Amino acid sequence: MDYQNPKIPEGINVTDEHPLKGFLYLLAAVAGTIAIIVLVISLSIGELAKLVPFETEVSLAEKIKANVSDDAIENLNASEQARHQQVQAYLQNLADKLSRAHQLPEEIKITVHYLDEPVINAFATLGGHIFIYQGLIDVLDSENALAMVVAHEIAHVKYRHPIVALSRGASIGLILSMLTGVGDGGSIASQMSLLTSLAFSRSQETESDIDAYNALISYYGHAQGATDLFNVLKKSNHILSPPELLSSHPLSEKRIEKLNELDKGAYAHCSKNSMGCQLTPLPDFLGVN
Amino acid sequence: MIVTNIEIIPGRKIVKHLGMVQGNTVRSKHAGRDIMAGFKNIFGGELKGYTELLTESREEAVDRMKQQAQAIGANAILNVRFSTSSVAAGAAELFAYGTAVVLE
Amino acid sequence: MYDLIIIFILLVLGYVFGQAAEKRHFRSIIKREEQYRDLLTFSKRFPLDADYDQKASLVGGSVVISVDYFKRFAAGLRNLIGGRVTTYESLLERARREALLRMKEEARQQGMNTIVNVKLETSSITKGRRNQVGAVEVYAYGTGLVSNIDQ
Repeated sequence: MDYQNPKIPEGINVTDEHPLKGFLYLLAAVAGTIAIIVLVISLSIGELAKLVPFETEVSLAEKIKANVSDDAIENLNASEQARHQQVQAYLQNLADKLSRAHQLPEEIKITVHYLDEPVINAFATLGGHIFIYQGLIDVLDSENALAMVVAHEIAHVKYRHPIVALSRGASIGLILSMLTGVGDGGSIASQMSLLTSLAFSRSQETESDIDAYNALISYYGHAQGATDLFNVLKKSNHILSPPELLSSHPLSEKRIEKLNELDKGAYAHCSKNSMGCQLTPLPDFLGVN
Repeated sequence: MIVTNIEIIPGRKIVKHLGMVQGNTVRSKHAGRDIMAGFKNIFGGELKGYTELLTESREEAVDRMKQQAQAIGANAILNVRFSTSSVAAGAAELFAYGTAVVLE
Repeated sequence: MYDLIIIFILLVLGYVFGQAAEKRHFRSIIKREEQYRDLLTFSKRFPLDADYDQKASLVGGSVVISVDYFKRFAAGLRNLIGGRVTTYESLLERARREALLRMKEEARQQGMNTIVNVKLETSSITKGRRNQVGAVEVYAYGTGLVSNIDQ
C-alpha cells in the first residue's frame, strides 16, 4: 500500500474576505435598520399621541409641574407682586382673545405664566401651559409682535406639539436603551421631568407660524408686526439653547420669507405704512424700555 | 502502563479485560489568570495560562485513571476518551475514561 | 459619548493587534506543518496494514485561543443579521491546526511516527455575562505508534 501526506492548499476553511469590509457593511446595515425603526416608531407614536385626550395631558402636566411652578411670586414685595399679577392678567387676556381667533377646541385651555427674568424666550409645554419671559417682551415694540409670539405658542398647544414631542423623545429613548442595553426604563421618567426641554421639529414650527399668522389677521385685521420678533432676533444674533423659542426653529430669515409669501396672497390687503395697519402699542406697565 | 485510544495494540494480545477505569479532576482558574485573559480578550491571541491549566488538569485526570488501572492489576488502558464540562462559572471538570486490560 | 470613544479605541486596538497576531500565527502554523509532514496522522479507528513496534501511547495537544475585541464585536453584529461569521472561522481554524501540531510535537518527542484514531474536541470557555472571557479550547488526541510505513 502507498501512503502519502500531501500538502493541503490554504484558505479552504477560511473565507477569503477582508474582515473590515464585512464589518463596515454590517455596521452600516445595522445602524441603518435601527435608524429606520426608530424613525418609524417615533413618528407613529407621535401621531398616536395626538389622540390622547387633552384632560389626560393636563393631569400628566399636573404631576410633573412641580419644577416649573409660579412660586417665584412669593419672594417678591407687594408692589412687584401687583405688577406681576397685572402682567399675567394682561397676557392671559391676550391669550384668551387669540384662542378665540385660533378657534381653539372647547376642551383646550391655555394658561399663561409670566416669568420676570431677562431671558429672551417663550415656550409652550404639556397641558396648555405657556411661559413668557420679560426678556422677550423687552425686545418687542408692539402688542402685535407679542401677540404673534403668544399665538405661535397657542398653535403649538392646538396641534398638540408638546405631547407629540414628549412621546417621540420618550419612544426614541426607550428603543435606544432597549437596543443598546444602556440605561433602563427608568430613564423615561427622567426624560419626562425634562419637560421644558421639549424641542419641536421644523415642520411643527412652520405649521405654528402659519397658524399664528392667520390668527393675527383674524384678531387685528392685519398682520403687521408678525415678523418683528424674527427681525429683532436676527439683528441681536442671540444664541439660544434647546428650550428656547428659536432653537431647532427654521432660521429667522426663512421664517420671515415664508410669512412674506403669505402676505402676497389673500391677506395683502394692507400695504406697509397704510393707515389701516396701525400697530397696537404695548401697555405702559410692560414698556420697560 | 500503555494508554491508547484505539482498541488493540498492534502485535500484542489481550489476555484479560478488567472493565472500565476513570479519572477526573475539577479545576478552577485563579483571578490573576482571569485578569490576564480579560486583557487578551481585547488583543486576541493564545491564553497560555488557560492552556497550561487545562493540560495539567488532563494529565491529572489521566494519572488518576492510571492509578485506578494499576490498583486493579492492569498493564494497559485501551479506548481512552476525554470529556470536558463546565460545572460552574470559572470551573471545569476534565474526565478521562477507558478500558483496563492485561496484555501478555 | 465616552462609552463610544472607549469602544472605538478597543475596536482599533483589537483589529490592529488581533490581525497582526493572526497573520503571525498562520505563518508559524504553515511553517511547522511542513516540519511534521512526514508524521502520518489518521482519523481511522484501527491501525493500517503495516508492521508496528510493540509501542503505543496516548498523545495529545491542546490550545486555548482568545477572541479579540474586534472579532467579538463583528460577530455580535453578524448575530443580528445572520450568515457566515467569517471572523470566527479563522479563529477556530487556527486553534484546530495548532492543537494538531502540538499533538504531533508530543508524538515526535516520544519517538512515534504515526498517529491513529485522532479525535478533536472543541469547547468554548466563557465566564460571567458582563465581564465575559471569550475563548475557545481545542484538544486533539490520538494514539501514537511506531510503524515501518515508507512514504
